[in-house]
Parts: sequence; structure tokens; C-alpha cells
Amino acid sequence: MNSGNAHSVRTGRFDRLVGVLHKDMYRYAVWLSRDPSIAEEVVQEALLRAWKSLDALREDEAARQWVITIVRRENARYFERKRLETVDIDNLTPAQAGMMVAGDDSELNELREAIYKLEDDYREPLVLQVLMGHSTREIAAVMGIKPGAVLTRLHRARHKLKAVVEEAES
Amino acid sequence: MSSAGQKMNCNDYQEAIAADPSESFDGGAEHVSSCQPCSSYRDEIRALNDRIAQALMVDTPELKMPELPPIEVDSNVVNLPFGRLTTPTWIGIAASVAIAVVFGARFLGGDVQELSLADELLAHLDYEPWALQVSTQQVSNYSLNDVLSADVADIGGLGLITYATTCVIHGNLVPHIVLQGEKGPITLLLMPEEMVDGLTPVIGDGIEGVIIPVGNGSIAIIGNRDEMLDKYQQQVIDAVKWTI
Repeated sequence: MNSGNAHSVRTGRFDRLVGVLHKDMYRYAVWLSRDPSIAEEVVQEALLRAWKSLDALREDEAARQWVITIVRRENARYFERKRLETVDIDNLTPAQAGMMVAGDDSELNELREAIYKLEDDYREPLVLQVLMGHSTREIAAVMGIKPGAVLTRLHRARHKLKAVVEEAES
Repeated sequence: MSSAGQKMNCNDYQEAIAADPSESFDGGAEHVSSCQPCSSYRDEIRALNDRIAQALMVDTPELKMPELPPIEVDSNVVNLPFGRLTTPTWIGIAASVAIAVVFGARFLGGDVQELSLADELLAHLDYEPWALQVSTQQVSNYSLNDVLSADVADIGGLGLITYATTCVIHGNLVPHIVLQGEKGPITLLLMPEEMVDGLTPVIGDGIEGVIIPVGNGSIAIIGNRDEMLDKYQQQVIDAVKWTI
């Protein structure tokens, strides 16, 4: 294969993977950072990293796990670079507030706000399990904690959200 | 989720189903088949989970592809036939069951336990299998310097470096480097903020290594079980400059 063809094959593969995965990348980034504008920056950096290291991904079946790792890393780099401590949940930017209100379903918006306010340690495993379909062991590997700790955080996260929903209903 | 030989009670079941609404844990289906309150609780949790999934599906902006720099195409990469990647399936299944029982029992205890550093490194390697490839393609100086400034460590003389990235280990961003040894890839994790009490073994399935204390930090060197890592250890320690 000459270098022109190889480049074209590489570009085609990257476009296919990104086409399938970029929504997951963005949603994971937005729930990690809790800020749509930061998420967009993180995804841009993650796409560049993914492009540069695409040859390291041997099996496309592992691509979701691979890009999630890259997004998580880029998010950490972003916050380290900017020296941002946390998002101030009491003083939201318009973009942050807009993220929580989508449509007329007020109960859903309240649930989204409750997820937004969950501690990082609870929110991230929930996003990885529900949105990304990660197994407990995969979440444990991403977060560097034991599978038992993942399960504990998940059940506590759902109990918190359940309480919010029940309070809203009453 | 139940400990071996013990039936799940309602409290155990409700904690487990809230953690895993798919009810993939042991003993759950058996318990719920004869417990109406837990059956109702499961339905509530699953309904909640559907709503959580809806809530998480925020709108996404249109894909804006960044300008992609030209890349030298690597055609000299092959997957490493690591023992752990060729482990018979039944061993993997048996190990999974054993892990599920152990962690399930701990989960019921309710404590959140962090992984040991060695466990976290092994889990990290499992999570980035693409890093462990036999390759003849050197990473570019640009990529290497981006990950590991020569002010921190000058590892250029160690051998063929085929992977360089930054990873999160114990909450810190650390350089994750892979060089090609005689028996396969060797992973180096340079952790200037991770102190260990002494030489700490790292033993995985088909791989092993050591975490070496260096100054106020440490370095992990992990390779194929047949690899002679000793000869790399002093070279790596000498290359690291954070102790100066």
C-alpha cells in the first residue's frame, strides 16, 4: 500500500469511528465537566489525540473504551491547565443552565439538574454505566477504584436521584 | 451479589439492584421471584433508570472536526501475543466469578475501597491494551516531549519507545511510556507524586514488574514475565531528574 492510499485508509477509518462515537464523546465530556463549552474544547483536543494515536487502536470494537479514556484524560488536562477547582453550581453560566433545560418535561429537567449536582464520584460511574454501557469492571478500571466501590457509588447515586424524584412527585 | 452459600436478603437485593438494574448479579432473580416488595422496588429502579438515561441524553452540537495534522503511517505494528491475552476462556470466566464473589461480599459491607497502586496499574494496563503492541515504529520526538519533558526524565537512550501518553493514576496525570524489550513491550509509569514504602511487586496475568521508590515519587516498570527488567531499572532511575 503506498503512503497516499494508507493515508486515505487511515482518514476513512478515523472519520467512520468519529462519526459513530462523537456524540458519546461529547456527552461524556459534558457530564464530566458540567459545562458545554468546556466539553466542546475537551472533545476537540480528544479528537486530535485520537487522530495522532489511531494506529495504536488495533480493534475497532475497542474504540468506545479507547475514546472514553482519551476524553477523560483530556478533561483532566483541561482542568489542570486552567487550574479550575470545580464548577460553581449556584452561579451557572447560560450554557450550563441551558444544558439542564431541554424541552417541556419539567420532571426530566429536575432529574437532569439533580444528576448535574451529584458529586463527581457518583455522577461519573452513573454516566459510564447508563450512557456508555460500561460494565462494573470497566468503570473500575477507568476510575481506578475497586468494583465493589463502583457498585456502592452507583447505588448511592440512584438512591439520591430517587429521593429527588419522589420529593418532586409529592 | 450474595456471598457464597448465603441467600440474598431484601436489603442486599435493593442495594444491588440500585447499583445494577440489569440484575446481572448472582442470586437476584431467585430472591425477587419470591419477594413482591423487592419485585416492585426493581420496577421502580428500572423506571428511574430509564428516566436517568433520558436525562443524560443531552443535545449534542454538530461535529466540528479539528484540523488533523499529517501522520506518518505505521505499517510495522503487530499485536503482542501476551499470555494473558491467550488465556483459555474458562479461566477468564472462573476468574470473573471469583472476583464477583470477592467484590460482591465487600460491596455488601458498604465501604468504598480504593485500589492499591499496584492493582490500579494492572487495571490501567488492562484498560489500554492498545499500548501493549510489538512495534518497530518510534513515537515522534514531538509526542514524547509533549508527554515527558527532558527536564523531568531523559529516557531517549533506553531503547525503542513506541507509545507515549499521559494517564491518570491515583488522580495524578503521569507519563505512560512503552518501550520495546527483548520479550515484548515494557511499560514505564513515571509517578513523581506517588510515594511507595519500598520496592513493590506488580504481578498480573503473564506480566510482572515492580514499583521503585525514587525521591518523593516512584516509577513502575512492567513487562512480560520472561523479560529481564533488572537491566532497565537502573537506567530508568538514572534517567529521571526529579530527585535532583
